[in-house]
Amino acid sequence: MAHAELESKWGYVSPGGILRYPEEPPFPVKEYDAHYDHIFEMMEELEAKGEILIHRITEEYQPIPVYTRTGRIKLIPTNKLWHHKSCGQCGNIPGYPASIFWFMNKFGLDYLNEPHQTSCTAWNYYGFGISNPVALATIWLRNMHQAWKTGYYPLIHCGTSFGSYKEIRRQLIMNKELRDAVKPILKKLGRLTEDGRIVIPQEIVHYSEWVHAMRYRIKELYEKEGKAKKIDVSNVKVAIHNASHTYKMIADDYPYDPEVYNGQRPAASTAVIKALGAQVVDYSTWYDCCGFGFRHILTEREFTRSMAIQRKLKVIAEEVKADVIITHDTGCTTTLEKSQWIGKAHGMYYPVAVMPDVMFAALACGAHPFKVVQLYWNFSHYEPLLEKMGITNWRELKKEWEDAVKYISELEKAGKYDELMEFFKEYDLYEPYSKTSTGKPRASATADIPLFES
Amino acid sequence: MDEHNYGYNLSISEKTKMVPWEEKVRVVEEVKSDFRFKEYLFGCLNCGVCTASCPSNKFFDFSPREIVQRFLENDVEVLYDMMHEYIWACSQCFTCWIRCPFGNNPGGLVAIMREVAVRNAFEATKELLKPYGRVLLKVMTTGNQLSADMLQPDLFPDWGPKMADIMEDLKAKRLAIPFDIGKSVKTAWEVSLETIIELYTIWRETGIFEMLEKLDPNLYNVIMDIVEENEERYQKLYEGEE
Ligand code: SF4
Ligand code: SF4
Repeated sequence: MAHAELESKWGYVSPGGILRYPEEPPFPVKEYDAHYDHIFEMMEELEAKGEILIHRITEEYQPIPVYTRTGRIKLIPTNKLWHHKSCGQCGNIPGYPASIFWFMNKFGLDYLNEPHQTSCTAWNYYGFGISNPVALATIWLRNMHQAWKTGYYPLIHCGTSFGSYKEIRRQLIMNKELRDAVKPILKKLGRLTEDGRIVIPQEIVHYSEWVHAMRYRIKELYEKEGKAKKIDVSNVKVAIHNASHTYKMIADDYPYDPEVYNGQRPAASTAVIKALGAQVVDYSTWYDCCGFGFRHILTEREFTRSMAIQRKLKVIAEEVKADVIITHDTGCTTTLEKSQWIGKAHGMYYPVAVMPDVMFAALACGAHPFKVVQLYWNFSHYEPLLEKMGITNWRELKKEWEDAVKYISELEKAGKYDELMEFFKEYDLYEPYSKTSTGKPRASATADIPLFES
Repeated sequence: MDEHNYGYNLSISEKTKMVPWEEKVRVVEEVKSDFRFKEYLFGCLNCGVCTASCPSNKFFDFSPREIVQRFLENDVEVLYDMMHEYIWACSQCFTCWIRCPFGNNPGGLVAIMREVAVRNAFEATKELLKPYGRVLLKVMTTGNQLSADMLQPDLFPDWGPKMADIMEDLKAKRLAIPFDIGKSVKTAWEVSLETIIELYTIWRETGIFEMLEKLDPNLYNVIMDIVEENEERYQKLYEGEE
């Protein structure tokens, strides 16, 4: 749907205040004009007082409006995005960010993926309690300031970061003592505006919201390029697993849509799967979390796998026999994908493909399953899914990736870095080394990077 | 049934019984004085919706309703006791928060209780957090919580044989990730030196290094060595620039 059409459909008017509603609630909403929504008015007040600066979602970010469950209009910026990466994704599911970059390239969108970002460190906090709200808030604001300074809008890849940042923002807006605590530290870091204000983004935006907002363009790409490769997802049965930290934390700040259970369940991920024409199948424990538990995935693994197998994998296998479980977060993907094998030991093996919405969508649109979607790192039973989608040449495609790894390995071991860089120019989705926002010479926090110094 | 003022069905450990009453009051008050406390606890219907939908309740002797009730009753003895092991069963999924008809956030209360337990460096907390040394080392020194080299097969035998396969020629496989700053092995993505220096300042200014020193002095020393080394590197590289 074109942007102008969406504007007229949703009654979205810009510019103006950042708290907006359509004239009519689009579906039975939970508490229209909800308590949480008023933090947006409070943000405007704090800006008027000169305490904060709102990083506004202006036209250059090509926003698309979505609804929250209170009927509020949330603007999702779709262009000129600053990638706030996820450590769990980049570390263990690299096809996750790669698929996001691939889509952005396909749509000709501008973005910045630079090394001047830390993790949110919230996994550490939720898991082990080692941090505090002042540290979490300062880390968030440092990252947000960096994005604002570059002129790009922050897109949060990780569900944990997204949930944590939404909560921190609410705390920060509601509590002067927290603002007073972070300000001197930000000042020391040079992370306030020139006139001493804290930079706060108008909306905290998760990548799944971007995928949701872009679903019709993704559908167009699928129709044009995916189908040309004989990919067809219409017979694929999809079970959706929404992440707790996206929709249960600060629940009034996540998309809902009349197309998805008439606005009674979170819309992101489900809506893009529906737009692609796959079959969304419902199961009784859709509401349950995956069992990740932050510390549990590391040291309470009996809990994690019990929850994953008994409350998700088994139920999905028995009730709906899905071909794939679609996730939209790092921890859930890891848990549901890596808890399958051990089920064999308990006579509870329920093999099924598990991957996030954006990886599935990229496959549907014809992305290379291994070079782009990086399925090599995926522990789930994804091969039957590829077959069912019509990607029957996956063995050859896997071989292509293995050959690339072999070639890279040989060049790296022989110290042929120039050739390697040439190779990456073609291979990489994001032009290496060229685009970062500081002029400083490249230096990293660990000894084995820059790339080839180990 | 153990004797204490209110707790109806939760037993109190012998250790907690030995702790002076004033100390228990101090710790519980530390939780209650957190600025988030008033945003996380309102009334309680005792409806049990939170516990019924709590994943940890399904597999542990753990109930968010109990936590909420104990706070409302100000059952210092039980709350203090809960802060040693009980609270660590919570998965921090916040299902309780979205479902509670009163808008209580039992998971949030647990987060505050955990933070206070860490700050007070309880022996039980120290023991419980020992296995996370690697994660802490990573996040404190590099600004990334996870990296490809952390998933060693011997630490995750229940994830199956693919773990070992992944570790083979890991560096080349990481280089085959199609964006430059995602190719690193020791971090999830390449974090720039100037960025990590800012994070060290945040840890210092917000008392997180101190928190760690109390909890695990050995780990703290290792971390500070790396921090100082990186700070020196930074000074040498960018001397005179700022
Ligand atoms: S946040 Fe903790 S207490 Fe609340 S539902 Fe999740 S596991 Fe249970
Ligand atoms: S859901 Fe809320 S009201 Fe019901 S028992 Fe739990 S805390 Fe109390």
